Amino acid sequence: MILSVDCLVKEYGGFVALADVTAEFPRGQMTAIIGPNGAGKSTFFSLLSGAIAPSAGRIIFEGANITGLPQFRFARQGIARSYQITNLFPRLTAHENVRLACQALSASARGDLWHDRSYHYGLAETADACLEQVGLLPRRLIEVSRLAHGEQRALEIAVALAGSPRLLLLDEPTAGMSPEETKQMMDLIARLATERTVLLVEHKMKLVMGLADRILVLHHGRLLASGTPDEIRADTQVRRVYLGEGRSGRG
Amino acid sequence: MELDLILAQLFTGVALGAVFVLMSVGLSVIFGMLGIVNFAHGAFYMIGAYVGIFVLTLTGSFWIALALTPILVGVFGLFVERILVRPLYGRGPDYPLLLTFGLAYALVELVRVVFGSDGVPFDTPELLAGGFDLGDLGYYPAYRLFVIAFTVLILLVLWVVIERTRFGLIVRAGARDPRILSVLGIDVARVWLLAFGIGTGLAALAGLLAAPMRSVNPEMGVAVLVEAFVVTVIGGMGSLLGGAIAGMAVGIVVSLTSLWMPQMATMSMFALMTLVLIIRPQGLFGRDDLAR
Amino acid sequence: MPIVAAVLALLPWVAPSQALSVNILLYGLFATGFNLLFGYTGLLSFGHAAFFGAGAYGAGIALAHYGVGWFGAIFIGVGVAGMLALLIGAVSIRSRGIYFSMVTLALAQLVYYAAFQATDWTGGENGLRGLTVSVLSLGPISLNFLDPTTKYYVLFAFVMFALWLLSRMLNAPFGAAMEAVRENESRARACGFDVRLIKLIAFVVSGLVCGLAGSLNALHLSIVPIDTLYYQTSGLAVMMALLGGAGTFLGPFIGAAIFLLIEDIFSLWTPHWQLFVGIIFMLAVLFMPRGVWGTLAGWYRERRA
Repeated sequence: MILSVDCLVKEYGGFVALADVTAEFPRGQMTAIIGPNGAGKSTFFSLLSGAIAPSAGRIIFEGANITGLPQFRFARQGIARSYQITNLFPRLTAHENVRLACQALSASARGDLWHDRSYHYGLAETADACLEQVGLLPRRLIEVSRLAHGEQRALEIAVALAGSPRLLLLDEPTAGMSPEETKQMMDLIARLATERTVLLVEHKMKLVMGLADRILVLHHGRLLASGTPDEIRADTQVRRVYLGEGRSGRG
Repeated sequence: MELDLILAQLFTGVALGAVFVLMSVGLSVIFGMLGIVNFAHGAFYMIGAYVGIFVLTLTGSFWIALALTPILVGVFGLFVERILVRPLYGRGPDYPLLLTFGLAYALVELVRVVFGSDGVPFDTPELLAGGFDLGDLGYYPAYRLFVIAFTVLILLVLWVVIERTRFGLIVRAGARDPRILSVLGIDVARVWLLAFGIGTGLAALAGLLAAPMRSVNPEMGVAVLVEAFVVTVIGGMGSLLGGAIAGMAVGIVVSLTSLWMPQMATMSMFALMTLVLIIRPQGLFGRDDLAR
Repeated sequence: MPIVAAVLALLPWVAPSQALSVNILLYGLFATGFNLLFGYTGLLSFGHAAFFGAGAYGAGIALAHYGVGWFGAIFIGVGVAGMLALLIGAVSIRSRGIYFSMVTLALAQLVYYAAFQATDWTGGENGLRGLTVSVLSLGPISLNFLDPTTKYYVLFAFVMFALWLLSRMLNAPFGAAMEAVRENESRARACGFDVRLIKLIAFVVSGLVCGLAGSLNALHLSIVPIDTLYYQTSGLAVMMALLGGAGTFLGPFIGAAIFLLIEDIFSLWTPHWQLFVGIIFMLAVLFMPRGVWGTLAGWYRERRA
């Protein structure tokens, strides 16, 4: 197990966003997290990436208890995330975005007050390698705010890839993408998943069913079911609360 | 130290606190709705005192001044929001803050041009000039009791408006999440305008009420701006209840400190603020997410 | 950096008065220290008078009360400012977002009141006097500090040294980390930056720079007025940095020059020149938020692109 969560709870002043979730994530597998809007998927991701601290419960990553550590520690342990709503450094170039992410995870470079940035040329090379993986290398010197939406989504992934995380958390990477772009993105994710553990929040059920090794279903902040795609498809509870209403919208 | 002296000083603290409360509530109304920190709040307070003097010499009645001043300055606040602040929405919180800072800078100088740089006396209104003999508790100026009572009245009116009216409902919803308002089809711009007007009107009222207790001069806004910030940081930005309680607490702490260690009086409130920041950075009643 | 050096080196020959060029040099450095925090890290402090004043009083008290030499006094001033920045920074960066400006202002006023009370050390409201330095000697070198040109270039040397160190920091990875915090704090944290530490370091360095400006100003004026620590002084740095161009290296100096020129020109015919400064500043916030230099640099970049 690369990651396990134990009785994870998140409350906001009485409102329970996530209730008592226990789950294990095997190394090298891709797990998809599905559930209707408000099911607690975003809260779950925020907890796993350390952006918020749980009200109760534990998060164990590679055997170490990392519950309650500041978010930057999560990143330095090897957990990286992308965001559902593009969350980058908008006035910097694509290359500089990824280079910064590399720098944050390089102990020798991040606190360097003295040498010129070019002194750490290895970071720039790693950054370009990440850009190449997502197909953005030709656009490396374009400012983020001038990139197309699909390119910004790809850059989200490239930033998350900096520092070669062992656990990659992808929050709806295909949000707002055209069918064409979605297919490219799913191919990319499938490729990434061959080398690392991936957790994926995704609304488009069909994509998840064909891609993920395991699926977790959240509903009203609770873990409703978990298992292989076939098991989930067969689960009557899941069919009732989730698949049944899938036709009516994003949910 | 005798008990009655302490109690008298406690009342002085409450009167001082009342001014802080009005300032802090005004700041919070503006911040809660518009998401901006009004650095000209102290300037509006100072303008309130001067407009009060102006109306007072014109009409000879403190009560007319008390009624007119918040309205006049509030209307001026409406123009400020409409003309100067509104173009800056969407540029982040720093630019409205910088603009109101510049406005305060100009307003202070404008008052110097019109009224001169020296302080102006503001006599306690005749009706309230006396004091009450509180028996064992000593002698207490009537005007301070009036300030306390009047502030309580204003807070009650505000509370009723916020809890019981449609406008209050909008304010509460907007303070929680500004996006709700546009979803509900409410003209957000008008709500913002009104909130800014009310906030500046409250600052003017605080300035007028404070005028007979503290000296009136063009620089009087700076100290009170800082005091209002301290109160707001302690109480929690955007929380009216927090502002009220913190205002009282700061007023009392300052008054009591001046009893024992006069030279530490102004500094005691900063110590209180630092303590709160270390223990609870979002303020006593502030919500965690508002400060982000 | 080379542009700044060239402009400041030539300043005494183009500025209308010697006093003005020294002021542009020192207030420009002060605004640069503020700009490090506001322009590069995205933290709007309204309390930088505290560090400017701490530098001035630190150096001044060392000179006047303890007979420390001028060189040592500058170091003491900078050190005192740095310590104060560490304290104020540690408290104020705990407050998030919109609180930061309020908290820095409040803590700076605390320093002001404290200095006001500590009359034995600071001279209270009369200001600190008795720190006239007329000859600068360091080892075998001895310079006449009363000669305006010599004075300017001695101060210039200190300012250049500080700017050189700053430009190293801004061009180093740490400068990039500061920009990351400014551009998107939450993403910087998610990437693995220790945002709090970055803010604290930026705060302390900013305080050190302002402290140097204050120390040099104390030497220049031979007196430390109590107003050095007042709210208005903090506002000065804010206005200068924004007028010139926050987040640019030359901007604060341009801003200092604009501000001081406005003061010089308008105060010739009205004692109420601050009214015009306030109005011009509001106009700049509304219509030229990138400041004079930031706007020019933007145009140049767009024409090249």
